[in-house]
Amino acid sequence: MSRLVRGELIKMRTTRTALGFGIASVLLVVAFVLLTTLAGDPDTLNDKRDALNVGGALSIPLLIFGIVGATGEFRHRTLAPAVLIAPDRVRLGLARLAAYVFTALAVGVIMLAAGLAIGVPILAGQPGPELGGQEYLQMIGGGLLAVGLVAALGTGIGVLVRNQVAAVVGVLVWIFIVEPLIPLASEDVARYGILNSAGSVGIGGGVADDAVPFAASLAALVGWALVFVTLGLLVDRRRDVE
Amino acid sequence: MAAAIEVAGLTKQYGPVRAVDDLSFEVRSGAVTGFLGPNGAGKTTTLRMVLGLARPTAGHATVMGRPYTDLDEPARTVGANLEIAGAHPGRSGRDHLRSLAAMAGLSRGRVEEVLELVELREPAGRRAGKYSMGMRQRLGLAATLLGDPGVLELDEPANGLDPQGIRWLRDFLRSMAAEGRTGLVSSHVLAEVAQTVDDVVVIHRGKLVDQGPVTRLTATRAVTVRSPRAQELLAALEREGIQVRSEADGALLVEGAEAARVGELAHVVGVPLHELTPQTTSLEEAFFALTSGAEEPS
Repeated sequence: MSRLVRGELIKMRTTRTALGFGIASVLLVVAFVLLTTLAGDPDTLNDKRDALNVGGALSIPLLIFGIVGATGEFRHRTLAPAVLIAPDRVRLGLARLAAYVFTALAVGVIMLAAGLAIGVPILAGQPGPELGGQEYLQMIGGGLLAVGLVAALGTGIGVLVRNQVAAVVGVLVWIFIVEPLIPLASEDVARYGILNSAGSVGIGGGVADDAVPFAASLAALVGWALVFVTLGLLVDRRRDVE
Repeated sequence: MAAAIEVAGLTKQYGPVRAVDDLSFEVRSGAVTGFLGPNGAGKTTTLRMVLGLARPTAGHATVMGRPYTDLDEPARTVGANLEIAGAHPGRSGRDHLRSLAAMAGLSRGRVEEVLELVELREPAGRRAGKYSMGMRQRLGLAATLLGDPGVLELDEPANGLDPQGIRWLRDFLRSMAAEGRTGLVSSHVLAEVAQTVDDVVVIHRGKLVDQGPVTRLTATRAVTVRSPRAQELLAALEREGIQVRSEADGALLVEGAEAARVGELAHVVGVPLHELTPQTTSLEEAFFALTSGAEEPS
Protein backbone atom coordinates (compact mmCIF):
# COMPACT_ATOMS: atom_id res chain seq x y z
CA MET A 1 0.00 0.00 0.00
CA SER A 2 2.80 2.41 0.89
CA ARG A 3 4.37 2.09 -2.57
CA LEU A 4 1.03 2.86 -4.19
CA VAL A 5 0.75 6.00 -2.06
CA ARG A 6 4.33 6.90 -2.98
CA GLY A 7 3.50 6.52 -6.67
CA GLU A 8 0.37 8.64 -6.31
CA LEU A 9 2.35 11.33 -4.48
CA ILE A 10 4.89 11.41 -7.33
CA LYS A 11 1.98 11.88 -9.74
CA MET A 12 0.65 14.64 -7.52
CA ARG A 13 3.83 16.69 -7.42
CA THR A 14 4.73 16.25 -11.09
CA THR A 15 1.83 18.19 -12.55
CA ARG A 16 0.83 21.77 -11.88
CA THR A 17 -2.61 20.88 -10.51
CA ALA A 18 -1.63 20.53 -6.85
CA LEU A 19 0.71 23.51 -7.03
CA GLY A 20 -1.96 25.68 -8.62
CA PHE A 21 -4.62 24.81 -6.07
CA GLY A 22 -2.09 25.18 -3.25
CA ILE A 23 -1.08 28.67 -4.34
CA ALA A 24 -4.71 29.67 -4.88
CA SER A 25 -5.65 28.40 -1.41
CA VAL A 26 -2.84 30.29 0.32
CA LEU A 27 -3.52 33.52 -1.60
CA LEU A 28 -7.18 33.22 -0.71
CA VAL A 29 -6.31 32.85 2.98
CA VAL A 30 -3.99 35.89 2.86
CA ALA A 31 -6.65 38.02 1.16
CA PHE A 32 -9.39 36.82 3.50
CA VAL A 33 -7.37 37.37 6.67
CA LEU A 34 -6.28 40.87 5.59
CA LEU A 35 -9.82 41.79 4.62
CA THR A 36 -11.49 40.52 7.79
CA THR A 37 -8.88 41.73 10.26
CA LEU A 38 -8.33 45.18 8.74
CA ALA A 39 -11.78 46.00 7.38
CA GLY A 40 -14.03 43.76 9.47
CA ASP A 41 -13.22 45.17 12.94
CA PRO A 42 -13.29 41.80 14.69
CA ASP A 43 -13.77 42.51 18.38
CA THR A 44 -15.25 39.26 19.75
CA LEU A 45 -13.66 35.82 20.11
CA ASN A 46 -16.06 34.50 17.46
CA ASP A 47 -15.09 37.23 14.98
CA LYS A 48 -11.39 36.62 15.59
CA ARG A 49 -11.74 32.88 15.15
CA ASP A 50 -13.73 33.40 11.96
CA ALA A 51 -11.01 35.68 10.63
CA LEU A 52 -8.41 32.90 10.91
CA ASN A 53 -10.62 29.93 9.99
CA VAL A 54 -9.22 27.94 7.05
CA GLY A 55 -12.25 25.61 7.07
CA GLY A 56 -15.54 26.77 5.54
CA ALA A 57 -15.35 28.79 2.33
CA LEU A 58 -11.54 28.89 2.35
CA SER A 59 -11.40 25.09 2.04
CA ILE A 60 -13.50 25.06 -1.16
CA PRO A 61 -10.41 25.19 -3.44
CA LEU A 62 -9.19 21.99 -1.79
CA LEU A 63 -12.60 20.39 -2.33
CA ILE A 64 -12.30 21.30 -6.02
CA PHE A 65 -8.68 20.08 -5.98
CA GLY A 66 -9.87 16.61 -4.92
CA ILE A 67 -12.52 16.62 -7.65
CA VAL A 68 -10.18 17.84 -10.39
CA GLY A 69 -7.47 15.37 -9.42
CA ALA A 70 -9.77 12.36 -9.28
CA THR A 71 -11.72 13.22 -12.43
CA GLY A 72 -8.44 14.05 -14.20
CA GLU A 73 -7.57 10.35 -14.18
CA PHE A 74 -10.67 9.66 -16.26
CA ARG A 75 -10.39 12.80 -18.36
CA HIS A 76 -6.79 12.15 -19.40
CA ARG A 77 -7.30 8.35 -19.48
CA THR A 78 -4.34 7.78 -17.18
CA LEU A 79 -5.99 5.18 -14.99
CA ALA A 80 -5.08 2.05 -16.95
CA PRO A 81 -1.28 2.03 -16.33
CA ALA A 82 -1.86 2.25 -12.56
CA VAL A 83 -4.60 -0.40 -12.59
CA LEU A 84 -2.29 -2.74 -14.52
CA ILE A 85 0.21 -2.46 -11.66
CA ALA A 86 -2.40 -2.55 -8.88
CA PRO A 87 -5.45 -4.45 -10.15
CA ASP A 88 -7.18 -4.15 -6.76
CA ARG A 89 -9.15 -0.99 -7.49
CA VAL A 90 -10.16 -0.38 -3.88
CA ARG A 91 -6.51 -0.43 -2.71
CA LEU A 92 -5.53 1.84 -5.57
CA GLY A 93 -8.44 4.17 -4.77
CA LEU A 94 -7.48 4.32 -1.10
CA ALA A 95 -3.86 5.06 -2.02
CA ARG A 96 -5.04 7.92 -4.24
CA LEU A 97 -7.28 9.17 -1.45
CA ALA A 98 -4.36 9.11 1.00
CA ALA A 99 -2.18 11.06 -1.44
CA TYR A 100 -4.84 13.76 -1.85
CA VAL A 101 -5.42 14.01 1.88
CA PHE A 102 -1.65 14.25 2.58
CA THR A 103 -1.30 16.95 -0.05
CA ALA A 104 -4.30 18.87 1.32
CA LEU A 105 -2.82 18.65 4.83
CA ALA A 106 0.50 20.03 3.56
CA VAL A 107 -1.35 22.89 1.88
CA GLY A 108 -3.41 23.34 5.05
CA VAL A 109 -0.24 23.77 7.11
CA ILE A 110 0.91 26.55 4.77
CA MET A 111 -2.57 28.13 4.79
CA LEU A 112 -2.58 28.15 8.59
CA ALA A 113 0.98 29.43 8.81
CA ALA A 114 0.22 32.26 6.38
CA GLY A 115 -3.07 33.13 8.07
CA LEU A 116 -1.60 33.13 11.56
CA ALA A 117 1.55 34.98 10.52
CA ILE A 118 -0.52 37.82 9.08
CA GLY A 119 -3.59 37.65 11.31
CA VAL A 120 -2.17 37.25 14.83
CA PRO A 121 -0.17 40.54 14.90
CA ILE A 122 -3.10 42.47 13.43
CA LEU A 123 -5.63 40.88 15.82
CA ALA A 124 -3.37 41.69 18.78
CA GLY A 125 -4.02 45.35 18.11
CA GLN A 126 -7.81 44.92 17.88
CA PRO A 127 -10.15 45.66 20.81
CA GLY A 128 -11.96 42.90 22.73
CA PRO A 129 -10.87 39.60 24.24
CA GLU A 130 -7.76 37.94 22.82
CA LEU A 131 -7.48 34.39 21.46
CA GLY A 132 -5.44 32.19 23.81
CA GLY A 133 -3.02 29.36 23.10
CA GLN A 134 -5.80 26.79 23.57
CA GLU A 135 -7.96 28.47 20.91
CA TYR A 136 -5.06 28.66 18.47
CA LEU A 137 -4.32 24.96 18.97
CA GLN A 138 -8.01 24.13 18.39
CA MET A 139 -7.99 26.17 15.20
CA ILE A 140 -4.82 24.53 13.91
CA GLY A 141 -6.13 21.03 14.64
CA GLY A 142 -9.63 21.83 13.41
CA GLY A 143 -8.32 23.57 10.31
CA LEU A 144 -6.20 20.60 9.32
CA LEU A 145 -9.08 18.21 9.94
CA ALA A 146 -11.37 20.37 7.81
CA VAL A 147 -9.05 20.65 4.79
CA GLY A 148 -8.15 16.93 4.92
CA LEU A 149 -11.77 15.83 5.08
CA VAL A 150 -12.87 18.28 2.42
CA ALA A 151 -10.13 17.02 0.05
CA ALA A 152 -11.25 13.43 0.76
CA LEU A 153 -14.85 14.41 -0.02
CA GLY A 154 -13.74 16.00 -3.29
CA THR A 155 -11.80 12.89 -4.25
CA GLY A 156 -14.82 10.69 -3.50
CA ILE A 157 -17.11 12.90 -5.58
CA GLY A 158 -14.58 12.93 -8.44
CA VAL A 159 -14.27 9.13 -8.52
CA LEU A 160 -18.05 8.72 -8.37
CA VAL A 161 -19.00 11.32 -11.00
CA ARG A 162 -15.93 11.02 -13.35
CA ASN A 163 -17.03 13.96 -15.54
CA GLN A 164 -14.90 16.90 -14.37
CA VAL A 165 -17.17 19.72 -15.45
CA ALA A 166 -20.30 18.04 -14.10
CA ALA A 167 -18.64 17.28 -10.76
CA VAL A 168 -17.20 20.77 -10.22
CA VAL A 169 -20.34 22.60 -11.35
CA GLY A 170 -22.55 20.22 -9.36
CA VAL A 171 -20.60 20.80 -6.15
CA LEU A 172 -20.51 24.58 -6.61
CA VAL A 173 -24.25 24.64 -7.25
CA TRP A 174 -24.79 22.51 -4.14
CA ILE A 175 -22.62 24.71 -1.93
CA PHE A 176 -23.60 28.13 -3.18
CA ILE A 177 -27.22 27.62 -4.20
CA VAL A 178 -28.72 24.52 -2.58
CA GLU A 179 -27.13 24.68 0.88
CA PRO A 180 -28.07 28.36 1.41
CA LEU A 181 -31.68 27.44 0.61
CA ILE A 182 -31.86 24.55 3.08
CA PRO A 183 -32.51 26.83 6.11
CA LEU A 184 -35.82 27.77 4.47
CA ALA A 185 -36.86 24.16 5.03
CA SER A 186 -34.97 23.35 8.23
CA GLU A 187 -32.42 25.36 10.19
CA ASP A 188 -31.25 22.21 11.99
CA VAL A 189 -30.51 20.29 8.78
CA ALA A 190 -28.71 23.28 7.27
CA ARG A 191 -26.18 23.30 10.09
CA TYR A 192 -24.90 19.95 8.91
CA GLY A 193 -24.31 20.98 5.30
CA ILE A 194 -20.81 20.66 3.82
CA LEU A 195 -19.85 24.33 4.14
CA ASN A 196 -21.27 24.82 7.65
CA SER A 197 -19.71 21.58 8.93
CA ALA A 198 -16.30 22.41 7.43
CA GLY A 199 -16.47 25.92 8.89
CA SER A 200 -17.43 24.64 12.31
CA VAL A 201 -14.70 21.97 12.28
CA GLY A 202 -12.20 24.59 11.06
CA ILE A 203 -12.48 26.74 14.16
CA GLY A 204 -12.08 23.69 16.38
CA GLY A 205 -15.62 23.81 17.77
CA GLY A 206 -18.45 26.29 18.02
CA VAL A 207 -18.36 28.93 20.73
CA ALA A 208 -21.84 30.44 20.57
CA ASP A 209 -24.47 28.83 22.76
CA ASP A 210 -26.54 27.70 19.79
CA ALA A 211 -23.51 26.50 17.77
CA VAL A 212 -23.27 22.88 16.64
CA PRO A 213 -20.87 20.98 18.95
CA PHE A 214 -17.46 20.28 17.44
CA ALA A 215 -17.99 16.50 17.62
CA ALA A 216 -21.30 16.77 15.76
CA SER A 217 -19.80 18.97 13.03
CA LEU A 218 -16.85 16.64 12.72
CA ALA A 219 -19.16 13.62 12.51
CA ALA A 220 -21.18 15.36 9.80
CA LEU A 221 -18.09 16.21 7.74
CA VAL A 222 -16.67 12.70 8.19
CA GLY A 223 -20.09 11.38 7.13
CA TRP A 224 -20.10 13.48 3.94
CA ALA A 225 -16.60 12.28 3.06
CA LEU A 226 -17.28 8.67 4.01
CA VAL A 227 -20.47 8.41 1.97
CA PHE A 228 -18.90 9.76 -1.23
CA VAL A 229 -15.59 7.92 -0.84
CA THR A 230 -17.36 4.62 -0.16
CA LEU A 231 -19.82 5.11 -3.01
CA GLY A 232 -17.00 6.13 -5.34
CA LEU A 233 -14.85 3.11 -4.51
CA LEU A 234 -17.74 0.64 -4.70
CA VAL A 235 -18.98 1.97 -8.02
CA ASP A 236 -15.48 2.31 -9.47
CA ARG A 237 -14.45 -1.27 -8.74
CA ARG A 238 -17.31 -2.49 -10.93
CA ARG A 239 -16.49 -0.20 -13.83
CA ASP A 240 -14.41 -1.09 -16.86
CA VAL A 241 -11.23 0.99 -17.15
CA GLU A 242 -11.34 3.17 -20.26
CA MET B 1 4.75 -25.85 -24.54
CA ALA B 2 2.41 -24.54 -21.83
CA ALA B 3 0.08 -21.64 -22.64
CA ALA B 4 1.14 -18.28 -21.22
CA ILE B 5 -2.23 -16.75 -21.96
CA GLU B 6 -5.43 -18.74 -22.13
CA VAL B 7 -8.74 -17.30 -23.25
CA ALA B 8 -11.84 -19.45 -22.80
CA GLY B 9 -15.30 -18.56 -24.02
CA LEU B 10 -14.65 -14.86 -23.55
CA THR B 11 -17.69 -12.73 -24.35
CA LYS B 12 -18.33 -9.01 -23.99
CA GLN B 13 -21.68 -7.44 -24.60
CA TYR B 14 -22.08 -3.63 -24.80
CA GLY B 15 -25.82 -3.05 -24.90
CA PRO B 16 -27.03 -4.57 -28.16
CA VAL B 17 -23.47 -4.99 -29.51
CA ARG B 18 -21.56 -8.21 -28.88
CA ALA B 19 -17.97 -6.97 -29.17
CA VAL B 20 -16.42 -10.35 -28.34
CA ASP B 21 -18.34 -13.55 -28.90
CA ASP B 22 -17.37 -16.80 -27.17
CA LEU B 23 -13.70 -16.35 -28.04
CA SER B 24 -11.19 -19.03 -27.10
CA PHE B 25 -7.48 -19.24 -27.95
CA GLU B 26 -4.09 -19.86 -26.40
CA VAL B 27 -0.78 -18.05 -26.59
CA ARG B 28 2.24 -20.34 -26.32
CA SER B 29 4.97 -19.53 -23.83
CA GLY B 30 8.06 -18.16 -25.54
CA ALA B 31 6.24 -17.47 -28.80
CA VAL B 32 5.17 -14.18 -30.33
CA THR B 33 1.55 -14.35 -31.39
CA GLY B 34 -0.02 -11.88 -33.76
CA PHE B 35 -3.57 -11.00 -32.73
CA LEU B 36 -5.10 -10.00 -36.02
CA GLY B 37 -8.42 -8.67 -37.13
CA PRO B 38 -9.91 -5.72 -38.95
CA ASN B 39 -10.73 -2.51 -37.08
CA GLY B 40 -13.61 -3.14 -34.70
CA ALA B 41 -13.04 -6.90 -34.61
CA GLY B 42 -12.80 -6.90 -30.80
CA LYS B 43 -9.01 -7.12 -30.36
CA THR B 44 -8.65 -4.30 -27.83
CA THR B 45 -11.71 -5.40 -25.89
CA THR B 46 -10.27 -8.91 -25.67
CA LEU B 47 -6.88 -7.64 -24.48
CA ARG B 48 -8.58 -5.43 -21.87
CA MET B 49 -10.53 -8.41 -20.56
CA VAL B 50 -7.35 -10.52 -20.37
CA LEU B 51 -5.78 -7.73 -18.29
CA GLY B 52 -8.75 -7.32 -15.98
CA LEU B 53 -9.50 -3.82 -17.24
CA ALA B 54 -12.89 -4.88 -18.58
CA ARG B 55 -15.31 -7.35 -17.06
CA PRO B 56 -16.25 -10.24 -19.35
CA THR B 57 -19.97 -10.85 -19.84
CA ALA B 58 -19.03 -14.54 -19.93
CA GLY B 59 -15.93 -16.70 -20.03
CA HIS B 60 -12.55 -16.11 -18.48
CA ALA B 61 -8.90 -15.49 -19.27
CA THR B 62 -5.73 -16.44 -17.45
CA VAL B 63 -2.13 -15.29 -17.65
CA MET B 64 0.47 -17.82 -16.51
CA GLY B 65 -2.40 -19.93 -15.20
CA ARG B 66 -4.09 -17.26 -13.10
CA PRO B 67 -6.53 -14.43 -13.71
CA TYR B 68 -4.54 -11.22 -14.18
CA THR B 69 -6.13 -9.64 -11.12
CA ASP B 70 -4.85 -12.53 -8.97
CA LEU B 71 -1.20 -12.17 -10.02
CA ASP B 72 1.10 -11.33 -7.12
CA GLU B 73 3.34 -8.95 -9.06
CA PRO B 74 1.49 -8.11 -12.27
CA ALA B 75 4.06 -5.58 -13.49
CA ARG B 76 6.83 -8.16 -13.23
CA THR B 77 4.74 -10.81 -14.99
CA VAL B 78 2.97 -8.98 -17.80
CA GLY B 79 3.83 -5.76 -19.57
CA ALA B 80 0.88 -4.27 -21.38
CA ASN B 81 0.58 -1.28 -23.63
CA LEU B 82 -3.05 -0.66 -24.40
CA GLU B 83 -3.52 3.07 -24.48
CA ILE B 84 -0.97 5.31 -26.13
CA ALA B 85 1.27 5.87 -23.09
CA GLY B 86 -1.61 6.70 -20.72
CA ALA B 87 0.50 9.56 -19.44
CA HIS B 88 -0.88 12.85 -18.15
CA PRO B 89 -0.11 15.51 -20.79
CA GLY B 90 1.30 17.84 -18.13
CA ARG B 91 3.70 15.27 -16.69
CA SER B 92 7.09 14.45 -18.17
CA GLY B 93 7.70 11.00 -19.60
CA ARG B 94 10.35 10.35 -16.96
CA ASP B 95 8.02 11.34 -14.09
CA HIS B 96 5.25 9.19 -15.57
CA LEU B 97 7.58 6.20 -15.49
CA ARG B 98 8.87 7.09 -12.03
CA SER B 99 5.36 7.10 -10.59
CA LEU B 100 4.65 3.69 -12.14
CA ALA B 101 8.01 2.35 -10.95
CA ALA B 102 7.27 3.51 -7.40
CA MET B 103 3.89 1.76 -7.51
CA ALA B 104 5.51 -1.45 -8.71
CA GLY B 105 8.33 -1.22 -6.15
CA LEU B 106 10.98 -0.68 -8.85
CA SER B 107 14.00 1.58 -8.68
CA ARG B 108 14.57 4.90 -10.45
CA GLY B 109 17.54 3.26 -12.13
CA ARG B 110 15.18 0.91 -13.93
CA VAL B 111 13.34 3.93 -15.32
CA GLU B 112 16.55 5.17 -16.93
CA GLU B 113 17.24 1.68 -18.29
CA VAL B 114 13.90 1.42 -20.08
CA LEU B 115 14.19 4.98 -21.37
CA GLU B 116 17.51 3.98 -22.87
CA LEU B 117 16.01 0.81 -24.29
CA VAL B 118 13.26 2.64 -26.17
CA GLU B 119 15.63 5.47 -27.15
CA LEU B 120 13.65 8.13 -25.31
CA ARG B 121 16.18 9.35 -22.76
CA GLU B 122 16.83 12.73 -24.32
CA PRO B 123 13.20 13.97 -24.48
CA ALA B 124 12.16 12.18 -21.27
CA GLY B 125 12.17 15.42 -19.29
CA ARG B 126 9.66 17.08 -21.60
CA ARG B 127 5.93 16.99 -20.93
CA ALA B 128 4.20 14.00 -22.48
CA GLY B 129 1.60 16.30 -24.04
CA LYS B 130 4.34 17.68 -26.29
CA TYR B 131 5.43 14.25 -27.54
CA SER B 132 4.88 13.10 -31.09
CA MET B 133 2.78 9.99 -31.64
CA GLY B 134 5.92 7.90 -32.08
CA MET B 135 7.43 9.19 -28.84
CA ARG B 136 4.21 8.41 -26.98
CA GLN B 137 4.29 4.87 -28.37
CA ARG B 138 7.86 4.50 -27.12
CA LEU B 139 6.86 5.87 -23.73
CA GLY B 140 4.09 3.28 -23.58
CA LEU B 141 6.56 0.53 -24.47
CA ALA B 142 8.95 1.81 -21.78
CA ALA B 143 6.17 1.50 -19.20
CA THR B 144 5.45 -1.98 -20.52
CA LEU B 145 9.06 -3.05 -19.94
CA LEU B 146 9.49 -1.50 -16.48
CA GLY B 147 9.02 -4.74 -14.55
CA ASP B 148 11.09 -6.74 -17.07
CA PRO B 149 8.07 -9.01 -17.65
CA GLY B 150 8.17 -12.32 -19.47
CA VAL B 151 4.84 -11.70 -21.18
CA LEU B 152 4.10 -8.66 -23.34
CA GLU B 153 0.70 -7.53 -24.58
CA LEU B 154 0.91 -4.79 -27.16
CA ASP B 155 -2.19 -3.29 -28.72
CA GLU B 156 -1.65 -1.83 -32.17
CA PRO B 157 1.92 -0.77 -31.37
CA ALA B 158 2.52 0.60 -34.89
CA ASN B 159 -0.42 3.00 -34.85
CA GLY B 160 0.71 6.45 -35.81
CA LEU B 161 4.35 5.49 -36.38
CA ASP B 162 6.26 6.82 -39.36
CA PRO B 163 8.26 4.36 -41.52
CA GLN B 164 11.34 4.89 -39.34
CA GLY B 165 9.26 4.19 -36.24
CA ILE B 166 7.78 1.03 -37.77
CA ARG B 167 11.27 -0.20 -38.57
CA TRP B 168 12.35 0.54 -35.02
CA LEU B 169 9.29 -1.32 -33.71
CA ARG B 170 10.03 -4.34 -35.88
CA ASP B 171 13.58 -4.50 -34.52
CA PHE B 172 12.21 -4.05 -31.01
CA LEU B 173 9.75 -6.93 -31.43
CA ARG B 174 12.48 -9.13 -32.88
CA SER B 175 14.75 -8.46 -29.93
CA MET B 176 11.92 -9.21 -27.50
CA ALA B 177 11.27 -12.49 -29.30
CA ALA B 178 14.98 -13.33 -29.33
CA GLU B 179 15.03 -12.92 -25.55
CA GLY B 180 12.41 -15.64 -25.31
CA ARG B 181 9.57 -13.44 -24.11
CA THR B 182 5.99 -14.32 -24.85
CA GLY B 183 4.23 -11.70 -26.91
CA LEU B 184 0.65 -11.05 -27.93
CA VAL B 185 0.69 -8.26 -30.47
CA SER B 186 -2.56 -7.01 -31.90
CA SER B 187 -2.59 -5.32 -35.23
CA HIS B 188 -4.61 -4.60 -38.32
CA VAL B 189 -1.45 -3.64 -40.23
CA LEU B 190 0.10 -6.96 -41.10
CA ALA B 191 3.46 -5.86 -42.47
CA GLU B 192 4.69 -4.94 -39.00
CA VAL B 193 3.97 -8.34 -37.49
CA ALA B 194 4.35 -10.69 -40.45
CA GLN B 195 8.11 -10.94 -40.07
CA THR B 196 8.07 -11.29 -36.31
CA VAL B 197 5.26 -13.55 -35.18
CA ASP B 198 5.40 -17.31 -34.70
CA ASP B 199 1.66 -17.83 -34.38
CA VAL B 200 -1.43 -15.92 -35.34
CA VAL B 201 -4.90 -15.62 -33.90
CA VAL B 202 -7.33 -14.09 -36.37
CA ILE B 203 -10.66 -12.74 -35.19
CA HIS B 204 -13.51 -11.16 -37.02
CA ARG B 205 -16.62 -9.59 -35.46
CA GLY B 206 -15.55 -10.87 -32.07
CA LYS B 207 -15.26 -14.50 -33.15
CA LEU B 208 -12.24 -16.67 -33.76
CA VAL B 209 -11.57 -17.18 -37.47
CA ASP B 210 -8.30 -19.08 -37.36
CA GLN B 211 -5.45 -19.85 -35.03
CA GLY B 212 -2.12 -21.55 -35.55
CA PRO B 213 1.48 -21.19 -36.66
CA VAL B 214 2.00 -18.40 -39.16
CA THR B 215 3.74 -20.91 -41.43
CA ARG B 216 0.48 -22.81 -41.82
CA LEU B 217 -1.40 -19.71 -42.86
CA THR B 218 1.28 -18.73 -45.29
CA ALA B 219 1.96 -22.28 -46.51
CA THR B 220 2.38 -23.04 -50.20
CA ARG B 221 -0.99 -22.90 -51.83
CA ALA B 222 0.00 -23.54 -55.47
CA VAL B 223 2.92 -24.24 -57.79
CA THR B 224 3.54 -22.36 -61.03
CA VAL B 225 4.98 -24.58 -63.78
CA ARG B 226 6.26 -23.62 -67.22
CA SER B 227 7.10 -26.20 -69.85
CA PRO B 228 7.39 -26.21 -73.66
CA ARG B 229 5.12 -29.31 -73.50
CA ALA B 230 2.64 -27.90 -70.98
CA GLN B 231 -0.38 -29.78 -72.33
CA GLU B 232 1.33 -33.16 -71.82
CA LEU B 233 2.18 -32.24 -68.28
CA LEU B 234 -1.37 -30.98 -67.68
CA ALA B 235 -2.79 -34.30 -68.83
CA ALA B 236 -0.37 -36.22 -66.60
CA LEU B 237 -1.27 -34.12 -63.57
CA GLU B 238 -4.98 -34.56 -64.20
CA ARG B 239 -4.51 -38.32 -64.52
CA GLU B 240 -3.04 -38.21 -60.99
CA GLY B 241 -6.13 -36.34 -59.76
CA ILE B 242 -4.18 -33.15 -59.14
CA GLN B 243 -6.06 -29.89 -59.65
CA VAL B 244 -4.40 -27.81 -62.35
CA ARG B 245 -5.36 -24.99 -64.64
CA SER B 246 -3.77 -23.23 -67.59
CA GLU B 247 -2.93 -19.55 -67.15
CA ALA B 248 -3.23 -17.00 -69.95
CA ASP B 249 0.54 -16.71 -70.28
CA GLY B 250 0.91 -20.45 -70.89
CA ALA B 251 1.95 -21.38 -67.36
CA LEU B 252 0.20 -24.06 -65.36
CA LEU B 253 -1.04 -23.33 -61.86
CA VAL B 254 -1.01 -26.55 -59.85
CA GLU B 255 -3.01 -26.65 -56.62
CA GLY B 256 -2.95 -29.38 -54.02
CA ALA B 257 0.52 -30.74 -54.83
CA GLU B 258 4.02 -29.86 -53.63
CA ALA B 259 6.61 -28.62 -56.13
CA ALA B 260 8.63 -31.81 -55.58
CA ARG B 261 5.78 -34.04 -56.63
CA VAL B 262 5.12 -31.96 -59.75
CA GLY B 263 8.82 -32.15 -60.64
CA GLU B 264 8.95 -35.92 -60.15
CA LEU B 265 5.84 -36.42 -62.26
CA ALA B 266 7.34 -34.28 -65.05
CA HIS B 267 10.45 -36.44 -64.91
CA VAL B 268 8.41 -39.65 -65.10
CA VAL B 269 6.51 -38.48 -68.19
CA GLY B 270 9.66 -36.98 -69.71
CA VAL B 271 8.46 -33.40 -69.93
CA PRO B 272 11.13 -30.68 -69.59
CA LEU B 273 10.48 -27.89 -67.14
CA HIS B 274 11.46 -24.25 -67.56
CA GLU B 275 10.00 -23.08 -64.25
CA LEU B 276 8.79 -24.70 -61.05
CA THR B 277 7.87 -22.04 -58.48
CA PRO B 278 5.99 -22.63 -55.20
CA GLN B 279 3.50 -19.79 -54.65
CA THR B 280 3.34 -18.94 -50.94
CA THR B 281 0.48 -16.92 -49.57
CA SER B 282 1.49 -13.78 -47.76
CA LEU B 283 0.09 -13.23 -44.30
CA GLU B 284 -1.82 -10.31 -45.74
CA GLU B 285 -3.44 -12.48 -48.42
CA ALA B 286 -4.28 -15.14 -45.85
CA PHE B 287 -5.75 -12.50 -43.57
CA PHE B 288 -7.94 -11.05 -46.28
CA ALA B 289 -9.05 -14.50 -47.33
CA LEU B 290 -10.07 -15.26 -43.75
CA THR B 291 -11.79 -11.96 -43.09
CA SER B 292 -13.10 -11.09 -46.54
CA GLY B 293 -15.84 -8.52 -46.21
CA ALA B 294 -14.73 -8.06 -42.65
CA GLU B 295 -14.68 -4.29 -42.34
CA GLU B 296 -17.20 -3.17 -39.79
CA PRO B 297 -19.60 -0.47 -40.85
CA SER B 298 -18.21 2.75 -39.45
